[in-house]
Amino acid sequence: MTLNATAETEMAKIARGLRERDLEILTDLVGRFQHRLVRYLLYLTGRWDYAEDLAQEIWIRVLQRGSQYNGRQRFDPWLFAIARNLAVDYLRKKRKAVQTVSLPDDHDAVLLLPASGPSPFEAAARSQDALRLAGRLQILAPLYREALLLRFQEDMSLPEIAQVVGAPVTTVSSRIYRGLAALRSAFEEGDSHGE
Amino acid sequence: MESDKRFRELIDRSFAEEISEGERQLIREHIRDCDGCKCYVELTARTIRGLREFTFVSGPDSNPQVREILADRTGTMRQHNVQFRIWAAFAAALSMSFVGSALVYQVTRRLAVPTHFDTAQVQAGVLVFWLLPSFCSALFLLAAPRENRGIA
Repeated sequence: MTLNATAETEMAKIARGLRERDLEILTDLVGRFQHRLVRYLLYLTGRWDYAEDLAQEIWIRVLQRGSQYNGRQRFDPWLFAIARNLAVDYLRKKRKAVQTVSLPDDHDAVLLLPASGPSPFEAAARSQDALRLAGRLQILAPLYREALLLRFQEDMSLPEIAQVVGAPVTTVSSRIYRGLAALRSAFEEGDSHGE
Repeated sequence: MESDKRFRELIDRSFAEEISEGERQLIREHIRDCDGCKCYVELTARTIRGLREFTFVSGPDSNPQVREILADRTGTMRQHNVQFRIWAAFAAALSMSFVGSALVYQVTRRLAVPTHFDTAQVQAGVLVFWLLPSFCSALFLLAAPRENRGIA
């Protein structure tokens, strides 16, 4: 069996399991994707407490809407798309609760505001370079953080990222370039100061 | 300067998406002579490497908690599903009792002429041998213990 055929069988198995609400398959999916899901939510929200709250909600949504996964595309972009929609709604509610200024109607507008609260990135940095990036990541707009994560950590292709974020491929690539430029400046400034 | 800008856009593209071998070759040749763009490539590569050097460790209870919630929800949803199917079966059986009775009555009334049964006898026969048994079956679907319903 080729690698593609194995992946297709795997996707069909997940689709069947979700349709039948097979607890064994759901448990297996949680084991495989929970870590990545929480990481994605951290990049979107910038906060541990939000990410962990949301992760539970997302699995419940997967259980409820599992029949909508057709098994012809990879499971992770589908999962992340659900996660994103829930996260955006969640952030809008949270921001509305604490801000008197109303947010624009654009669905993604909330992802243009940096997160408040302690940075989860500093604690997660495992090298000097990562530590330098952590500060930038915290103040970078979640839209750009998200694009960088999906491309360079999740190794998704641009069309897959476009599917997750519901934007054209050109928009996705421009977010990646802008995000990279913002982070690169952390090194440029650091090096020019002789760090 | 303008050419550097174009090359830097191409360098960005080379990190984010697939570019052709010809374009890769162009970048290689350019950075051999251009220190600024060479530094740009190194910084971009370093940034991407740095992005991969984050390890997020979620709480040890996170997975078991989610699994527990899912097990609970799955049970509840199955129960609702069974409940729905029972009511649907009941509704189908009930409607079949009446529609079926009407059909059987029509057929039996035609057969009654050659066999010399009168209308009252045909009505009683349909009531006793069709309508009551099918109506009781429909009620039985609702009343019987779940494991005996044969539809869960």
